[in-house]
Amino acid sequence: MIAERLRAAYEASAADLARGALGVLRGAGGTAVVADHLEAAQAGPPMAADAGGVDAGGVAAAVSAVRVLGADVLAPYVLVDQRLPPEESAAVCLCVSALPPVRQSPAAPPGGPEAPWIRAWIDWGLVTVLAGLDPAARPAAAVVPQQPPRCDDSAPRHRTGGGSDGDGGEGWVPWSLRMGQLASLALPGLDSPVHHLARCGVLALARGATRAVLRGDFATAARITRWLAWLAADGVPLPVNVSLLVREIALRGHDGGRCTLDLAIARRLLGEEGP
Amino acid sequence: MSTVLAPLAHGIRSRALHWLHAHRRLGALGEAGIEKDLDAYKALTETALAAGLVLRDGTAGSRERVLAGELLEFSWAQLGQGTRLYERLVHHPMKTDPVECYSHFVDAGYRHTGLDQLISHLAAAGAAQAAELLPNRRLAVANALRATGCGHTAAVPDWETLTRATWLGRVLEPWHIDWETGYDLTHTVFHLTDWGRRPHALPADLAAYLTHWLPVWTDLWTEVGEWDLVGELLTVAGCLPDPHTEIDDWQRLARLQHPDGLVPRDSDPVDDDPATRFQDHQHTTVVAVIAASIALTRDLETPAATGPDSGP
Repeated sequence: MIAERLRAAYEASAADLARGALGVLRGAGGTAVVADHLEAAQAGPPMAADAGGVDAGGVAAAVSAVRVLGADVLAPYVLVDQRLPPEESAAVCLCVSALPPVRQSPAAPPGGPEAPWIRAWIDWGLVTVLAGLDPAARPAAAVVPQQPPRCDDSAPRHRTGGGSDGDGGEGWVPWSLRMGQLASLALPGLDSPVHHLARCGVLALARGATRAVLRGDFATAARITRWLAWLAADGVPLPVNVSLLVREIALRGHDGGRCTLDLAIARRLLGEEGP
Repeated sequence: MSTVLAPLAHGIRSRALHWLHAHRRLGALGEAGIEKDLDAYKALTETALAAGLVLRDGTAGSRERVLAGELLEFSWAQLGQGTRLYERLVHHPMKTDPVECYSHFVDAGYRHTGLDQLISHLAAAGAAQAAELLPNRRLAVANALRATGCGHTAAVPDWETLTRATWLGRVLEPWHIDWETGYDLTHTVFHLTDWGRRPHALPADLAAYLTHWLPVWTDLWTEVGEWDLVGELLTVAGCLPDPHTEIDDWQRLARLQHPDGLVPRDSDPVDDDPATRFQDHQHTTVVAVIAASIALTRDLETPAATGPDSGP
Protein backbone atom coordinates (compact mmCIF):
# COMPACT_ATOMS: atom_id res chain seq x y z
CA MET A 1 0.00 0.00 0.00
CA ILE A 2 2.79 2.40 0.93
CA ALA A 3 4.67 1.61 -2.25
CA GLU A 4 1.50 2.16 -4.27
CA ARG A 5 0.85 5.51 -2.62
CA LEU A 6 4.41 6.56 -3.17
CA ARG A 7 4.25 5.53 -6.79
CA ALA A 8 0.98 7.42 -7.25
CA ALA A 9 2.56 10.52 -5.71
CA TYR A 10 5.57 10.26 -8.01
CA GLU A 11 3.33 9.77 -11.04
CA ALA A 12 1.21 12.75 -10.01
CA SER A 13 4.34 14.86 -9.70
CA ALA A 14 5.51 13.80 -13.17
CA ALA A 15 2.09 14.66 -14.59
CA ASP A 16 2.21 18.08 -12.91
CA LEU A 17 5.66 18.66 -14.34
CA ALA A 18 4.44 17.71 -17.83
CA ARG A 19 1.58 20.20 -17.49
CA GLY A 20 4.09 22.83 -16.43
CA ALA A 21 6.29 22.15 -19.45
CA LEU A 22 3.22 22.26 -21.66
CA GLY A 23 2.20 25.63 -20.22
CA VAL A 24 5.63 27.13 -20.89
CA LEU A 25 5.75 25.60 -24.35
CA ARG A 26 2.37 27.14 -25.17
CA GLY A 27 3.32 30.43 -23.59
CA ALA A 28 0.42 29.95 -21.23
CA GLY A 29 2.39 29.64 -17.99
CA GLY A 30 5.53 31.12 -16.52
CA THR A 31 8.94 30.87 -18.04
CA ALA A 32 10.43 28.23 -15.77
CA VAL A 33 9.44 24.57 -15.75
CA VAL A 34 11.70 22.79 -13.29
CA ALA A 35 12.33 25.71 -10.95
CA ASP A 36 8.59 26.31 -10.57
CA HIS A 37 7.97 22.62 -10.05
CA LEU A 38 10.58 22.37 -7.29
CA GLU A 39 9.28 25.52 -5.68
CA ALA A 40 5.73 24.21 -5.67
CA ALA A 41 6.93 20.94 -4.17
CA GLN A 42 8.78 22.72 -1.40
CA ALA A 43 5.68 24.74 -0.61
CA GLY A 44 3.43 21.68 -0.62
CA PRO A 45 2.56 19.31 2.24
CA PRO A 46 5.19 16.69 3.20
CA MET A 47 4.63 13.10 2.18
CA ALA A 48 6.41 11.57 5.17
CA ALA A 49 3.25 10.08 6.68
CA ASP A 50 2.45 8.23 3.48
CA ALA A 51 5.96 6.96 3.17
CA GLY A 52 5.78 4.95 6.34
CA GLY A 53 8.44 6.90 8.14
CA VAL A 54 10.65 7.42 5.12
CA ASP A 55 10.67 11.11 4.41
CA ALA A 56 10.31 10.84 0.69
CA GLY A 57 8.79 14.30 0.52
CA GLY A 58 7.25 16.19 -2.33
CA VAL A 59 10.67 17.50 -3.30
CA ALA A 60 12.02 13.98 -3.80
CA ALA A 61 9.05 13.22 -6.02
CA ALA A 62 9.60 16.46 -7.91
CA VAL A 63 13.27 15.69 -8.48
CA SER A 64 12.37 12.21 -9.61
CA ALA A 65 9.77 13.65 -11.99
CA VAL A 66 12.46 15.72 -13.69
CA ARG A 67 14.45 12.56 -14.26
CA VAL A 68 11.36 10.81 -15.64
CA LEU A 69 10.62 13.52 -18.18
CA GLY A 70 14.28 13.99 -19.01
CA ALA A 71 15.02 16.45 -21.77
CA ASP A 72 11.31 17.15 -22.20
CA VAL A 73 11.48 19.57 -19.28
CA LEU A 74 13.72 21.70 -21.49
CA ALA A 75 11.69 21.23 -24.66
CA PRO A 76 10.10 24.71 -24.45
CA TYR A 77 13.53 26.31 -24.60
CA VAL A 78 14.61 24.08 -27.49
CA LEU A 79 11.48 24.41 -29.58
CA VAL A 80 10.35 27.96 -28.90
CA ASP A 81 12.42 31.07 -29.08
CA GLN A 82 12.52 31.30 -25.32
CA ARG A 83 15.63 31.92 -23.25
CA LEU A 84 16.52 29.43 -20.55
CA PRO A 85 16.28 31.38 -17.29
CA PRO A 86 19.36 31.00 -15.06
CA GLU A 87 17.25 29.67 -12.20
CA GLU A 88 15.92 27.00 -14.51
CA SER A 89 19.41 25.88 -15.45
CA ALA A 90 20.35 25.78 -11.77
CA ALA A 91 17.23 23.80 -10.89
CA VAL A 92 18.00 21.16 -13.52
CA CYS A 93 21.60 20.95 -12.29
CA LEU A 94 20.27 20.49 -8.77
CA CYS A 95 18.05 17.60 -9.86
CA VAL A 96 20.88 15.95 -11.75
CA SER A 97 23.24 16.23 -8.81
CA ALA A 98 20.56 14.92 -6.42
CA LEU A 99 20.19 11.75 -8.46
CA PRO A 100 23.45 11.56 -10.39
CA PRO A 101 23.61 9.61 -13.64
CA VAL A 102 25.48 6.33 -13.54
CA ARG A 103 29.21 6.62 -14.19
CA GLN A 104 29.49 3.37 -16.10
CA SER A 105 27.37 2.67 -19.11
CA PRO A 106 24.88 -0.09 -18.32
CA ALA A 107 24.72 -3.03 -20.71
CA ALA A 108 22.17 -2.59 -23.45
CA PRO A 109 19.27 -5.02 -23.75
CA PRO A 110 18.98 -7.90 -24.32
CA GLY A 111 22.28 -8.48 -22.49
CA GLY A 112 21.35 -6.08 -19.69
CA PRO A 113 18.05 -5.08 -18.11
CA GLU A 114 15.95 -2.44 -19.87
CA ALA A 115 15.24 -0.04 -16.99
CA PRO A 116 18.77 1.18 -16.03
CA TRP A 117 19.80 1.40 -19.65
CA ILE A 118 16.73 3.51 -20.56
CA ARG A 119 17.34 5.61 -17.43
CA ALA A 120 20.91 6.22 -18.60
CA TRP A 121 19.74 7.38 -22.04
CA ILE A 122 17.12 9.73 -20.58
CA ASP A 123 19.78 11.17 -18.27
CA TRP A 124 22.13 11.61 -21.20
CA GLY A 125 19.42 13.47 -23.11
CA LEU A 126 18.68 15.82 -20.20
CA VAL A 127 22.32 16.64 -19.54
CA THR A 128 23.16 17.06 -23.22
CA VAL A 129 20.23 19.38 -23.94
CA LEU A 130 21.06 21.44 -20.85
CA ALA A 131 24.67 21.77 -21.97
CA GLY A 132 23.46 22.94 -25.37
CA LEU A 133 21.18 25.57 -23.88
CA ASP A 134 23.54 26.74 -21.17
CA PRO A 135 27.20 26.01 -21.89
CA ALA A 136 28.07 27.47 -18.51
CA ALA A 137 25.99 24.89 -16.68
CA ARG A 138 27.96 22.17 -14.97
CA PRO A 139 25.60 19.28 -14.34
CA ALA A 140 26.97 15.92 -13.31
CA ALA A 141 28.33 14.14 -16.37
CA ALA A 142 26.25 11.48 -18.10
CA VAL A 143 27.96 8.73 -20.06
CA VAL A 144 26.82 7.90 -23.57
CA PRO A 145 25.06 4.56 -23.07
CA GLN A 146 25.44 1.57 -25.32
CA GLN A 147 23.37 1.55 -28.48
CA PRO A 148 20.09 -0.34 -28.61
CA PRO A 149 19.47 -3.48 -30.66
CA ARG A 150 18.62 -2.68 -34.25
CA CYS A 151 15.22 -3.39 -35.73
CA ASP A 152 14.52 -5.79 -38.57
CA ASP A 153 11.21 -4.99 -40.29
CA SER A 154 10.91 -8.53 -41.60
CA ALA A 155 11.79 -10.28 -38.33
CA PRO A 156 9.00 -11.99 -36.36
CA ARG A 157 7.22 -8.97 -34.96
CA HIS A 158 7.59 -9.91 -31.28
CA ARG A 159 11.17 -11.14 -31.44
CA THR A 160 13.23 -9.54 -28.70
CA GLY A 161 16.91 -8.88 -28.67
CA GLY A 162 17.68 -9.95 -32.20
CA GLY A 163 18.20 -13.40 -33.60
CA SER A 164 19.77 -16.23 -31.73
CA ASP A 165 22.66 -16.19 -34.16
CA GLY A 166 23.32 -12.57 -33.26
CA ASP A 167 22.90 -11.13 -36.73
CA GLY A 168 19.13 -10.74 -36.82
CA GLY A 169 17.37 -7.59 -35.67
CA GLU A 170 14.60 -7.17 -33.19
CA GLY A 171 10.91 -7.37 -34.08
CA TRP A 172 9.13 -4.08 -34.60
CA VAL A 173 6.80 -4.46 -31.59
CA PRO A 174 9.35 -4.54 -28.74
CA TRP A 175 11.69 -2.26 -30.65
CA SER A 176 9.12 0.47 -31.21
CA LEU A 177 7.87 0.22 -27.62
CA ARG A 178 11.40 0.80 -26.36
CA MET A 179 11.83 3.75 -28.71
CA GLY A 180 8.66 5.16 -27.20
CA GLN A 181 10.28 5.00 -23.79
CA LEU A 182 13.18 6.97 -25.23
CA ALA A 183 10.91 9.62 -26.76
CA SER A 184 12.41 12.47 -24.74
CA LEU A 185 15.48 12.09 -26.95
CA ALA A 186 13.39 13.04 -30.00
CA LEU A 187 14.30 16.71 -29.84
CA PRO A 188 16.21 18.93 -32.25
CA GLY A 189 19.90 19.20 -31.52
CA LEU A 190 20.25 15.70 -30.11
CA ASP A 191 21.96 13.00 -32.11
CA SER A 192 23.19 9.63 -30.98
CA PRO A 193 23.13 5.95 -31.90
CA VAL A 194 19.47 5.93 -30.82
CA HIS A 195 18.72 8.63 -33.38
CA HIS A 196 20.64 6.73 -36.02
CA LEU A 197 18.53 3.65 -35.34
CA ALA A 198 15.36 5.77 -35.52
CA ARG A 199 16.36 6.78 -39.03
CA CYS A 200 16.82 3.10 -39.87
CA GLY A 201 13.55 2.10 -38.23
CA VAL A 202 11.00 4.35 -39.90
CA LEU A 203 8.56 1.59 -40.81
CA ALA A 204 8.89 -0.01 -37.37
CA LEU A 205 8.08 3.29 -35.70
CA ALA A 206 5.07 3.85 -37.98
CA ARG A 207 3.86 0.31 -37.28
CA GLY A 208 4.37 0.78 -33.55
CA ALA A 209 2.45 4.06 -33.49
CA THR A 210 -0.37 2.57 -35.57
CA ARG A 211 -0.57 -0.47 -33.32
CA ALA A 212 -0.74 1.74 -30.24
CA VAL A 213 -3.54 3.88 -31.73
CA LEU A 214 -5.52 0.79 -32.67
CA ARG A 215 -5.06 -0.62 -29.16
CA GLY A 216 -6.26 2.67 -27.66
CA ASP A 217 -2.89 3.16 -25.96
CA PHE A 218 -2.60 6.82 -26.81
CA ALA A 219 0.22 7.58 -24.38
CA THR A 220 2.44 5.07 -26.16
CA ALA A 221 1.17 6.23 -29.54
CA ALA A 222 2.11 9.82 -28.76
CA ARG A 223 5.57 8.85 -27.60
CA ILE A 224 6.38 6.80 -30.69
CA THR A 225 4.85 9.53 -32.84
CA ARG A 226 7.39 11.93 -31.36
CA TRP A 227 10.05 9.99 -33.24
CA LEU A 228 8.08 10.14 -36.45
CA ALA A 229 7.74 13.90 -36.07
CA TRP A 230 11.46 14.14 -35.33
CA LEU A 231 12.21 12.14 -38.48
CA ALA A 232 9.87 14.36 -40.52
CA ALA A 233 11.72 17.40 -39.22
CA ASP A 234 14.91 15.65 -40.27
CA GLY A 235 13.55 15.33 -43.82
CA VAL A 236 13.00 11.58 -43.70
CA PRO A 237 10.07 10.34 -45.87
CA LEU A 238 7.45 8.56 -43.76
CA PRO A 239 4.91 5.84 -44.64
CA VAL A 240 2.19 7.67 -42.67
CA ASN A 241 0.89 11.22 -42.56
CA VAL A 242 2.29 12.18 -39.19
CA SER A 243 0.24 15.39 -38.97
CA LEU A 244 -2.94 13.32 -39.28
CA LEU A 245 -1.55 10.87 -36.74
CA VAL A 246 -0.88 13.64 -34.22
CA ARG A 247 -4.39 15.01 -34.69
CA GLU A 248 -5.90 11.54 -34.37
CA ILE A 249 -4.16 10.95 -31.05
CA ALA A 250 -4.94 14.46 -29.84
CA LEU A 251 -8.64 14.05 -30.53
CA ARG A 252 -8.91 10.61 -28.99
CA GLY A 253 -6.28 10.44 -26.31
CA HIS A 254 -5.13 13.79 -25.00
CA ASP A 255 -4.77 13.84 -21.23
CA GLY A 256 -3.64 17.39 -20.61
CA GLY A 257 -0.36 15.96 -19.27
CA ARG A 258 2.41 13.81 -20.66
CA CYS A 259 0.52 12.63 -23.75
CA THR A 260 -0.53 16.18 -24.59
CA LEU A 261 3.04 17.39 -24.04
CA ASP A 262 4.35 14.72 -26.43
CA LEU A 263 1.81 15.81 -29.02
CA ALA A 264 2.60 19.50 -28.54
CA ILE A 265 6.30 18.77 -29.03
CA ALA A 266 5.48 16.68 -32.10
CA ARG A 267 3.49 19.57 -33.58
CA ARG A 268 6.35 21.96 -32.94
CA LEU A 269 8.72 19.51 -34.62
CA LEU A 270 6.36 19.49 -37.59
CA GLY A 271 6.27 23.27 -37.68
CA GLU A 272 2.61 23.33 -36.72
CA GLU A 273 1.54 26.03 -34.35
CA GLY A 274 -0.73 25.75 -31.38
CA PRO A 275 -1.43 23.09 -28.75
CA MET B 1 9.60 -25.43 -50.03
CA SER B 2 9.89 -23.96 -46.58
CA THR B 3 10.80 -26.71 -44.19
CA VAL B 4 8.95 -24.90 -41.39
CA LEU B 5 5.75 -23.60 -42.96
CA ALA B 6 4.89 -26.50 -45.24
CA PRO B 7 4.42 -29.22 -42.60
CA LEU B 8 2.46 -26.82 -40.41
CA ALA B 9 0.15 -25.77 -43.23
CA HIS B 10 -0.28 -29.35 -44.40
CA GLY B 11 -1.22 -30.47 -40.90
CA ILE B 12 -3.69 -27.65 -40.32
CA ARG B 13 -5.35 -28.20 -43.69
CA SER B 14 -5.56 -31.96 -43.35
CA ARG B 15 -7.16 -31.81 -39.89
CA ALA B 16 -9.56 -29.06 -40.97
CA LEU B 17 -10.59 -30.99 -44.07
CA HIS B 18 -11.27 -34.10 -42.01
CA TRP B 19 -13.49 -32.09 -39.65
CA LEU B 20 -15.42 -30.43 -42.48
CA HIS B 21 -15.89 -33.80 -44.15
CA ALA B 22 -16.94 -35.59 -40.98
CA HIS B 23 -19.54 -32.95 -40.17
CA ARG B 24 -20.66 -32.03 -43.67
CA ARG B 25 -24.23 -33.25 -43.17
CA LEU B 26 -24.70 -30.68 -40.42
CA GLY B 27 -24.47 -28.16 -43.24
CA ALA B 28 -27.10 -29.80 -45.43
CA LEU B 29 -29.49 -27.43 -47.12
CA GLY B 30 -32.67 -29.42 -46.59
CA GLU B 31 -35.80 -29.56 -48.66
CA ALA B 32 -36.80 -25.96 -47.99
CA GLY B 33 -34.08 -24.68 -50.25
CA ILE B 34 -31.72 -21.76 -50.34
CA GLU B 35 -34.16 -19.00 -49.40
CA LYS B 36 -35.08 -20.74 -46.16
CA ASP B 37 -31.54 -21.48 -45.08
CA LEU B 38 -29.14 -18.83 -46.28
CA ASP B 39 -26.58 -19.81 -43.61
CA ALA B 40 -26.33 -23.34 -44.99
CA TYR B 41 -26.15 -21.96 -48.53
CA LYS B 42 -23.28 -19.69 -47.52
CA ALA B 43 -21.50 -22.59 -45.80
CA LEU B 44 -21.82 -24.78 -48.88
CA THR B 45 -20.42 -21.99 -51.04
CA GLU B 46 -17.44 -21.56 -48.74
CA THR B 47 -16.86 -25.30 -48.57
CA ALA B 48 -16.81 -25.51 -52.35
CA LEU B 49 -14.28 -22.71 -52.54
CA ALA B 50 -11.99 -24.34 -49.96
CA ALA B 51 -12.26 -27.80 -51.49
CA GLY B 52 -11.59 -26.39 -54.95
CA LEU B 53 -8.44 -24.71 -53.71
CA VAL B 54 -7.23 -28.00 -52.21
CA LEU B 55 -7.59 -29.60 -55.63
CA ARG B 56 -6.20 -26.62 -57.54
CA ASP B 57 -2.60 -27.71 -57.59
CA GLY B 58 -0.38 -30.54 -56.54
CA THR B 59 0.05 -29.71 -52.88
CA ALA B 60 -2.57 -32.09 -51.46
CA GLY B 61 -2.00 -35.75 -50.66
CA SER B 62 -4.28 -38.46 -51.99
CA ARG B 63 -6.40 -38.63 -48.82
CA GLU B 64 -6.94 -34.86 -48.81
CA ARG B 65 -7.88 -34.94 -52.48
CA VAL B 66 -10.51 -37.59 -51.81
CA LEU B 67 -11.96 -35.57 -48.93
CA ALA B 68 -12.00 -32.38 -50.99
CA GLY B 69 -13.62 -34.17 -53.92
CA GLU B 70 -16.33 -35.62 -51.70
CA LEU B 71 -16.99 -32.23 -50.10
CA LEU B 72 -17.46 -30.73 -53.55
CA GLU B 73 -19.76 -33.58 -54.57
CA PHE B 74 -21.79 -33.17 -51.39
CA SER B 75 -22.10 -29.41 -51.82
CA TRP B 76 -22.99 -29.68 -55.51
CA ALA B 77 -25.62 -32.30 -54.69
CA GLN B 78 -27.07 -30.04 -51.99
CA LEU B 79 -27.44 -27.37 -54.64
CA GLY B 80 -29.22 -29.80 -56.93
CA GLN B 81 -26.23 -29.99 -59.26
CA GLY B 82 -26.66 -26.28 -59.85
CA THR B 83 -30.43 -26.32 -60.32
CA ARG B 84 -31.10 -24.57 -57.04
CA LEU B 85 -28.66 -21.82 -58.00
CA TYR B 86 -30.36 -21.54 -61.36
CA GLU B 87 -33.78 -21.27 -59.75
CA ARG B 88 -32.60 -18.63 -57.31
CA LEU B 89 -31.18 -16.57 -60.15
CA VAL B 90 -34.28 -16.98 -62.29
CA HIS B 91 -36.48 -15.72 -59.48
CA HIS B 92 -34.01 -13.09 -58.26
CA PRO B 93 -32.01 -11.93 -61.28
CA MET B 94 -30.40 -9.07 -59.36
CA LYS B 95 -28.91 -11.44 -56.78
CA THR B 96 -25.22 -11.96 -57.35
CA ASP B 97 -24.56 -14.75 -54.84
CA PRO B 98 -25.57 -17.54 -57.28
CA VAL B 99 -22.89 -16.33 -59.70
CA GLU B 100 -20.30 -16.09 -56.93
CA CYS B 101 -21.21 -19.53 -55.60
CA TYR B 102 -21.26 -21.13 -59.04
CA SER B 103 -17.80 -19.77 -59.87
CA HIS B 104 -16.25 -21.97 -57.17
CA PHE B 105 -17.81 -25.06 -58.70
CA VAL B 106 -16.73 -24.04 -62.19
CA ASP B 107 -13.19 -23.76 -60.89
CA ALA B 108 -13.46 -27.36 -59.77
CA GLY B 109 -14.86 -28.54 -63.11
CA TYR B 110 -18.62 -28.47 -62.52
CA ARG B 111 -21.04 -26.94 -65.03
CA HIS B 112 -24.76 -26.25 -65.32
CA THR B 113 -25.81 -25.31 -68.82
CA GLY B 114 -28.85 -23.31 -67.78
CA LEU B 115 -26.81 -21.30 -65.33
CA ASP B 116 -24.15 -20.62 -67.93
CA GLN B 117 -26.77 -19.24 -70.30
CA LEU B 118 -28.60 -17.24 -67.67
CA ILE B 119 -25.46 -15.69 -66.16
CA SER B 120 -24.09 -14.86 -69.62
CA HIS B 121 -27.40 -13.17 -70.48
CA LEU B 122 -27.48 -11.12 -67.27
CA ALA B 123 -23.82 -10.16 -67.68
CA ALA B 124 -24.27 -9.10 -71.29
CA ALA B 125 -27.28 -6.99 -70.27
CA GLY B 126 -25.15 -5.40 -67.53
CA ALA B 127 -27.60 -6.51 -64.84
CA ALA B 128 -25.14 -8.74 -63.00
CA GLN B 129 -22.77 -5.83 -62.58
CA ALA B 130 -25.43 -3.27 -61.65
CA ALA B 131 -26.62 -4.66 -58.33
CA GLU B 132 -26.23 -2.21 -55.45
CA LEU B 133 -23.35 -3.77 -53.56
CA LEU B 134 -20.47 -2.90 -51.29
CA PRO B 135 -17.43 -2.06 -53.43
CA ASN B 136 -15.57 -5.26 -52.54
CA ARG B 137 -18.61 -7.29 -53.56
CA ARG B 138 -18.52 -5.65 -56.98
CA LEU B 139 -15.05 -7.10 -57.33
CA ALA B 140 -16.48 -10.47 -56.27
CA VAL B 141 -18.98 -10.33 -59.13
CA ALA B 142 -16.33 -9.27 -61.64
CA ASN B 143 -14.08 -12.10 -60.53
CA ALA B 144 -16.91 -14.64 -60.59
CA LEU B 145 -17.86 -13.60 -64.14
CA ARG B 146 -14.23 -13.96 -65.14
CA ALA B 147 -13.92 -17.35 -63.44
CA THR B 148 -17.12 -18.74 -64.97
CA GLY B 149 -16.31 -17.37 -68.40
CA CYS B 150 -19.85 -16.00 -68.48
CA GLY B 151 -18.71 -12.40 -68.71
CA HIS B 152 -17.06 -12.69 -72.10
CA THR B 153 -19.93 -11.02 -73.92
CA ALA B 154 -20.18 -8.23 -71.37
CA ALA B 155 -18.20 -5.01 -71.17
CA VAL B 156 -14.71 -5.57 -69.82
CA PRO B 157 -14.77 -4.66 -66.13
CA ASP B 158 -12.84 -1.58 -65.15
CA TRP B 159 -10.76 -3.26 -62.45
CA GLU B 160 -8.96 -0.07 -61.53
CA THR B 161 -12.18 1.85 -60.86
CA LEU B 162 -13.69 -1.10 -59.01
CA THR B 163 -10.55 -1.42 -56.89
CA ARG B 164 -10.27 2.25 -56.02
CA ALA B 165 -13.87 2.29 -54.79
CA THR B 166 -12.99 -0.14 -51.98
CA TRP B 167 -11.60 0.73 -48.56
CA LEU B 168 -8.28 -0.84 -49.53
CA GLY B 169 -8.17 1.08 -52.79
CA ARG B 170 -8.28 4.37 -50.90
CA VAL B 171 -4.96 3.55 -49.20
CA LEU B 172 -6.04 5.31 -46.00
CA GLU B 173 -3.89 5.83 -42.98
CA PRO B 174 -3.61 2.37 -41.43
CA TRP B 175 -5.34 3.22 -38.15
CA HIS B 176 -8.61 3.98 -39.96
CA ILE B 177 -9.73 0.37 -39.86
CA ASP B 178 -12.20 -1.65 -37.85
CA TRP B 179 -13.25 -5.27 -37.64
CA GLU B 180 -15.72 -5.12 -40.54
CA THR B 181 -13.35 -3.15 -42.71
CA GLY B 182 -10.74 -5.79 -41.96
CA TYR B 183 -12.96 -8.36 -43.65
CA ASP B 184 -13.65 -5.97 -46.51
CA LEU B 185 -9.98 -5.55 -47.27
CA THR B 186 -9.36 -9.29 -47.21
CA HIS B 187 -12.08 -9.89 -49.77
CA THR B 188 -10.84 -7.09 -51.99
CA VAL B 189 -7.52 -8.94 -52.15
CA PHE B 190 -9.14 -12.35 -52.66
CA HIS B 191 -11.17 -11.20 -55.64
CA LEU B 192 -8.45 -9.09 -57.21
CA THR B 193 -5.96 -11.94 -57.05
CA ASP B 194 -8.57 -14.64 -57.67
CA TRP B 195 -7.72 -16.31 -54.35
CA GLY B 196 -3.99 -16.08 -54.82
CA ARG B 197 -3.92 -17.28 -58.43
CA ARG B 198 -3.01 -13.85 -59.76
CA PRO B 199 -0.92 -12.16 -57.08
CA HIS B 200 0.46 -9.65 -59.55
CA ALA B 201 -3.04 -8.41 -60.35
CA LEU B 202 -2.79 -6.58 -57.03
CA PRO B 203 -1.70 -3.01 -57.85
CA ALA B 204 1.84 -2.36 -56.68
CA ASP B 205 0.85 0.40 -54.28
CA LEU B 206 -1.71 -1.85 -52.59
CA ALA B 207 0.80 -4.67 -52.31
CA ALA B 208 3.27 -2.29 -50.66
CA TYR B 209 0.54 -0.93 -48.37
CA LEU B 210 -0.45 -4.42 -47.27
CA THR B 211 3.16 -5.43 -46.74
CA HIS B 212 3.55 -2.47 -44.42
CA TRP B 213 0.38 -2.86 -42.38
CA LEU B 214 -0.75 -6.48 -42.43
CA PRO B 215 1.65 -7.28 -39.57
CA VAL B 216 0.02 -4.56 -37.47
CA TRP B 217 -3.54 -5.68 -38.13
CA THR B 218 -2.63 -9.33 -37.66
CA ASP B 219 -1.06 -8.46 -34.33
CA LEU B 220 -4.07 -6.44 -33.26
CA TRP B 221 -6.66 -9.13 -33.92
CA THR B 222 -4.40 -11.85 -32.60
CA GLU B 223 -4.23 -10.01 -29.29
CA VAL B 224 -8.03 -10.04 -28.95
CA GLY B 225 -8.39 -13.60 -30.22
CA GLU B 226 -10.36 -12.87 -33.41
CA TRP B 227 -9.08 -16.06 -35.02
CA ASP B 228 -11.47 -15.95 -37.96
CA LEU B 229 -10.21 -12.55 -39.08
CA VAL B 230 -6.62 -13.51 -38.31
CA GLY B 231 -7.06 -16.51 -40.62
CA GLU B 232 -8.34 -14.25 -43.36
CA LEU B 233 -5.39 -11.90 -42.88
CA LEU B 234 -3.00 -14.86 -43.12
CA THR B 235 -4.73 -15.71 -46.39
CA VAL B 236 -4.15 -12.18 -47.64
CA ALA B 237 -0.48 -12.47 -46.71
CA GLY B 238 -0.32 -15.52 -48.97
CA CYS B 239 -1.92 -13.62 -51.86
CA LEU B 240 0.74 -10.90 -51.99
CA PRO B 241 3.19 -10.84 -54.88
CA ASP B 242 5.87 -11.42 -52.26
CA PRO B 243 4.08 -13.59 -49.69
CA HIS B 244 4.70 -12.56 -46.12
CA THR B 245 4.79 -15.26 -43.49
CA GLU B 246 5.44 -15.18 -39.78
CA ILE B 247 5.84 -18.71 -38.61
CA ASP B 248 4.58 -17.78 -35.14
CA ASP B 249 1.15 -17.03 -36.62
CA TRP B 250 0.95 -20.48 -38.18
CA GLN B 251 2.21 -22.19 -35.05
CA ARG B 252 -0.45 -20.35 -33.06
CA LEU B 253 -3.15 -21.43 -35.52
CA ALA B 254 -1.97 -25.03 -35.19
CA ARG B 255 -2.10 -24.81 -31.39
CA LEU B 256 -5.60 -23.32 -31.51
CA GLN B 257 -6.94 -26.06 -33.72
CA HIS B 258 -8.80 -28.74 -31.83
CA PRO B 259 -7.60 -32.33 -32.17
CA ASP B 260 -10.62 -33.14 -34.34
CA GLY B 261 -9.71 -30.33 -36.77
CA LEU B 262 -12.11 -27.57 -35.70
CA VAL B 263 -10.56 -24.12 -35.78
CA PRO B 264 -12.31 -21.78 -33.29
CA ARG B 265 -13.60 -18.47 -34.60
CA ASP B 266 -12.53 -16.52 -31.49
CA SER B 267 -11.32 -16.94 -27.94
CA ASP B 268 -14.77 -17.71 -26.50
CA PRO B 269 -15.40 -21.23 -25.16
CA VAL B 270 -16.37 -23.78 -27.81
CA ASP B 271 -19.76 -25.42 -27.30
CA ASP B 272 -20.00 -29.21 -26.95
CA ASP B 273 -23.11 -29.59 -29.11
CA PRO B 274 -22.04 -30.78 -32.59
CA ALA B 275 -24.63 -28.67 -34.44
CA THR B 276 -23.64 -25.52 -32.55
CA ARG B 277 -19.95 -26.28 -33.07
CA PHE B 278 -20.54 -26.59 -36.80
CA GLN B 279 -22.64 -23.45 -36.99
CA ASP B 280 -20.15 -21.39 -34.99
CA HIS B 281 -16.84 -22.63 -36.33
CA GLN B 282 -17.43 -23.98 -39.84
CA HIS B 283 -16.39 -20.68 -41.41
CA THR B 284 -13.10 -20.40 -39.52
CA THR B 285 -12.27 -24.02 -40.30
CA VAL B 286 -12.92 -23.30 -43.98
CA VAL B 287 -10.72 -20.21 -43.70
CA ALA B 288 -7.93 -22.39 -42.30
CA VAL B 289 -8.17 -24.69 -45.33
CA ILE B 290 -8.10 -21.71 -47.69
CA ALA B 291 -5.21 -19.98 -45.92
CA ALA B 292 -3.15 -23.17 -45.80
CA SER B 293 -3.90 -24.06 -49.44
CA ILE B 294 -2.85 -20.67 -50.73
CA ALA B 295 0.23 -20.62 -48.51
CA LEU B 296 1.26 -24.07 -49.78
CA THR B 297 0.69 -23.10 -53.42
CA ARG B 298 2.69 -19.90 -53.09
CA ASP B 299 5.35 -21.75 -51.17
CA LEU B 300 5.81 -24.05 -54.14
CA GLU B 301 6.29 -21.03 -56.40
CA THR B 302 8.69 -19.22 -54.10
CA PRO B 303 12.40 -20.02 -53.97
CA ALA B 304 13.75 -21.40 -50.70
CA ALA B 305 12.56 -19.22 -47.86
CA THR B 306 15.02 -16.77 -46.45
CA GLY B 307 12.65 -14.52 -44.56
CA PRO B 308 11.03 -14.76 -41.19
CA ASP B 309 9.18 -17.93 -42.13
CA SER B 310 12.40 -19.77 -41.56
CA GLY B 311 11.95 -18.99 -37.89
CA PRO B 312 13.87 -17.02 -35.36
